[in-house]
Amino acid sequence: MAHVELQGISKSYGHVVVCRDVNLEIEQGEFVTLLGPSGCGKTTTLNLIAGLDDPSSGDIRMEGRRVNALSPVQRDVAMVFQNYALYPHMTVAENIGFTLRLRGIRKAAIRARVEEVAASLELGDLLGRLPAQLSGGQQQRVAIGRALVREPKVFLFDEPFSNLDAALRLRMRAEVKELHQRLGVTSIFVTHDQEEAMSVSDRIAVMHHGRVEQFGTPEEIYASPATRYVATFIGSPQIELFTAVIERNGDEAALRIGPARIDLPAESYPGLAEGSAEGSKVEVGIRAEHVALADRGIAATVRLVQPVGPSTHVTLDWEGGTIVARLNGFARVERGSRVHLDLDTRHLLLFDRKTGQRIAAH
Amino acid sequence: MSALRGRLGARLGPWLCDAGVIVAIGVFVVWSIAPLVWLVLSSILPQLSLIARPPQISPVHWTLDNYVTVIGSAAALGQGMLNSFIVASFTTAVALALGAPAAYALARLSVPRSDAVVLLILATQMLPAIAIAIPLFIVIARFGLIDTRLALIIVYLSFNLPIVIWILRGFFLGIPVGLERAAAVDGAGVIRTFWMIVLPISVPPLCAAVVFAFIESWNEFFFALILTRQNAETVPLVIAAFAGQYQTVFGQMMAAAVISIAPVILLAILSRNHIVRGFAEGMLKG
Ligand SMILES: Nc1ncnc2c1ncn2[C@@H]1O[C@H](COP(=O)(O)OP(=O)(O)OP(=O)(O)O)[C@@H](O)[C@H]1O
Ligand SMILES: [Mg+2]
Repeated sequence: MAHVELQGISKSYGHVVVCRDVNLEIEQGEFVTLLGPSGCGKTTTLNLIAGLDDPSSGDIRMEGRRVNALSPVQRDVAMVFQNYALYPHMTVAENIGFTLRLRGIRKAAIRARVEEVAASLELGDLLGRLPAQLSGGQQQRVAIGRALVREPKVFLFDEPFSNLDAALRLRMRAEVKELHQRLGVTSIFVTHDQEEAMSVSDRIAVMHHGRVEQFGTPEEIYASPATRYVATFIGSPQIELFTAVIERNGDEAALRIGPARIDLPAESYPGLAEGSAEGSKVEVGIRAEHVALADRGIAATVRLVQPVGPSTHVTLDWEGGTIVARLNGFARVERGSRVHLDLDTRHLLLFDRKTGQRIAAH
Repeated sequence: MSALRGRLGARLGPWLCDAGVIVAIGVFVVWSIAPLVWLVLSSILPQLSLIARPPQISPVHWTLDNYVTVIGSAAALGQGMLNSFIVASFTTAVALALGAPAAYALARLSVPRSDAVVLLILATQMLPAIAIAIPLFIVIARFGLIDTRLALIIVYLSFNLPIVIWILRGFFLGIPVGLERAAAVDGAGVIRTFWMIVLPISVPPLCAAVVFAFIESWNEFFFALILTRQNAETVPLVIAAFAGQYQTVFGQMMAAAVISIAPVILLAILSRNHIVRGFAEGMLKG
């Protein structure tokens, strides 16, 4: 259990900059996820925390102590590797028990512990097999078992569920979260699956091109994305962005998107009303659940209807482009029908067109 | 018509290709085995049948006389085999014991300019043997090691160590670093990682290195000729001695040769299984 801090961490390989000034302060016992697309530097960051790689600059602290020069063992981390990295000459049981063996624990105790872990991962029948005799999902579970077999100061999980089938993935997700709640060990989890990140994390660090774009609770990340990138990366269906022109009339502010005009609640956007010049352009987004169909309002045509069970995603064409509405249940909407949009303006997200930073609402 | 021929061609194509491969392999096998067959054949023919023109190789002439004579009379062959065995085994063992850690260090630890170091090590092998023979003789003589097995072991090590390092380093470089990282997280330092993870998955190249070093040392003739007199004489010298000043007893010479290659062939067969099995099991999968 440890408080982990990354201070101004950068990492480059030759000319390739992989991590840029990463700052994270992870509380003791927290479950933090590094979320981002492929190649954004998640694994690299995890390796730096583990002590498998040295940062080009910046400090890593654990429990307040600078650990840059310490080995993975000295940092006392356990890690699940993205590509499993199972020892090919050892059986499943030997793979899982290796770390205990290195610690000089008695054989009987190792066997008992390994069996316990294997049972929880449904590997009980495979203990005698070699990694080459396992499926991808089974190998991944062995890799997870190798980390869970002991109680380190920090757990590092690098996309541990990427190769599991959907049902098992959901179960393992719950299992890891429960394990975390039970043991309270600081955990750093890597995934590119935003839903997975949302469901397990206390806080999420959204990474993009080696930078942390936002570090916050799932709710903050979802409802108040700090940047355009975070807004589009998080949420399904993906948020749609439109270019809008700001119009002002005294204290009132409105957005003009093509011929459509959307009034902004003045109390929500004082900053906008004061700061932005008449006629300046911003980018506007709204999540599907804040779009409803109404009798009056902005005209639109139904293009696509996708029921997903608890809700129906309706893709609509309007003057600003396309927009998706999430309606409850199996909505009775005809393709091609003419409808009207009701946007919940309190949940509009406005972004600076140049910097991509959100223009905050208060 | 041409369409028909095209289809026939398409069907014949793979078959011809297979046939080509089989023929090529066949030629290669004959090419490799023919000298061995001739060697064995000459060892079981009487001198007269052998030197007749054409040689009389039919089974009616076959005899084990040469073997009986060689084994019965030549204590030298036994001594030579023993010397060769000791020299080759020690050379191989030391070459691996030193070469494997060196190769690992050159592959994985932060040895500055390790590529250049490896090239340099290999470059030592590029001198022709004759160029170093005399200085080597002088050095060995100064140390009073002429006609000792130790001298041969030292000299053979200097040939084999670079090759062993080169073979093993190439393999170590190909091991996914993830394994060693996992071991580091599990709590193994460099030495235990090497001993418990890297070496066990390197059985195939280790076998290859063993076979190589052993055969090289077993067969070496030139330096053995220069550096030994009688006590440390190795098998190739014993065999060569059958070529006497006045006559060469081909049959006995060949019988001695057959006996002398038996251990090497045995070693090759034993380790071949290891080498092939290692790769077949996909030891490095994942
Ligand atoms: N040893 C290396 N040398 C050079 N470039 C590297 C090295 N390791 C990683 N990179 C580069 O750094 C970037 C980030 O890699 P990293 O493995 O951290 O990505 P990731 O976020 O884990 O991606 P994924 O989701 O695909 O696993 C990539 O563009 C990669 O090509
Ligand atoms: Mg990765």
